[in-house]
Amino acid sequence: MARASARAGKTSPLEREVVALFDLYRERLLRYLLGFGLPVQDGEEIVQEVFLALFQHLRKGKSRENLRGWVFRVAHNLGLKRRATRGRTETAEAMAEAMIDPAPNPEVQFAEGQEQRRLEAVMQALPEQDQRCLALRAEGLRYREIAEILGMSLGAVSISLSRSLARMTRAIER
Amino acid sequence: MRFDDSHLDESHLNDQELTLAADGELTPGREALVEAHLEACWTCRARKLELENTVGEFVRARNTDLDPKLPPASGPRALLGARMAELTAAAPGHPWLRWQHLAAACAVAALAVIAVGRWPLMRGPLVAVVSVPNADLTPGATVLESSTQVCAVSTPKNRTVPAPLQRQVFEEYGLSGAEAKAYEVDYLITPALGGADDIHNLWPQSYSSTVWNARVKDSLEDRLRELVCQGRLDLTTAQHDLSADWISAYKKYFHTDRPAEAP
Repeated sequence: MARASARAGKTSPLEREVVALFDLYRERLLRYLLGFGLPVQDGEEIVQEVFLALFQHLRKGKSRENLRGWVFRVAHNLGLKRRATRGRTETAEAMAEAMIDPAPNPEVQFAEGQEQRRLEAVMQALPEQDQRCLALRAEGLRYREIAEILGMSLGAVSISLSRSLARMTRAIER
Repeated sequence: MRFDDSHLDESHLNDQELTLAADGELTPGREALVEAHLEACWTCRARKLELENTVGEFVRARNTDLDPKLPPASGPRALLGARMAELTAAAPGHPWLRWQHLAAACAVAALAVIAVGRWPLMRGPLVAVVSVPNADLTPGATVLESSTQVCAVSTPKNRTVPAPLQRQVFEEYGLSGAEAKAYEVDYLITPALGGADDIHNLWPQSYSSTVWNARVKDSLEDRLRELVCQGRLDLTTAQHDLSADWISAYKKYFHTDRPAEAP
């Protein structure tokens, strides 16, 4: 009995490693997945799937090269899949819900002002691929990782990012 | 040493090169030329600053928008831990692990201390009284639904308890007026697992934050629902464990003595 209960609190080094990676990347992956217009709950489920897949991947002794790129790539693919099964209507509803202003106090709203509104409008109007590139870059990924996750060339990533930044800069300056 | 940057002096850098430079993504040879040009050209430096400023604005807007939507990590972390433990236990070649796992769960459940705790879900006054459901008043009540019916609802949401019913619960527990403000009426057996809108299934939870709080109970409910819907746990057992002593149930189903906490 005593031995058995000791086992209850015991986790393998691999389990601990995956939990550490989970702590490192969960929020970044969730933010990225919310960009797909998925509800938070779906995002959490996908993140669980990602790390269980990572656990299995490492347990089989497969490649440990660039695990950050790996988890984002798996999350990206699962996010696309989930959105396809959810259908357009539900996703659109989630999008609309996500865009409801949490209504901070009026002074804060005023201070944030029109500049941020314009920026948000431009962000939402960007082509989907450009939004993905920006979101991945914002989560700290390098161009080569973004290219791999989204199946683009390095040059296309660079053009996409600079084009988006230029558009947003115009929106802020206007 | 002087770089051959005469052609760069002639024409300004474009946004793509400036973005590559800001992101440290230029090839080494190109980087030296671009650096040299930026040293010489205020126009390009100003443009680079503008783009960097946009990066700042973008990140700020993104974080302001998304961060408040992210739930705490403790529940999902515990769930991941439990699932990995299960996979480890189920691994072929280690049948003894599966047995030990089960035995461990039973041991933990048997040793469970009757603990207390409640609910930081909404901000409220911190009260010293910590509540546990009174088993006579709140034994738990369920609707007649099979696990198939319960699981047919894809994303169940916690319903808000109707106001008149809330008042009844407060009265029943002898809480009135100001006192009641420190409590929230919640389901003992969640409707996501067939819990009923019945006064016997409702109790006032103190907002006091302790280790065993609402989020921990939420993660237990998610876990139980998952097991039920995968056909690995009987719905009645899940309902019973939740209503009898949810803290013991947490320890049992998460194979741990304490809820997972944020690092």
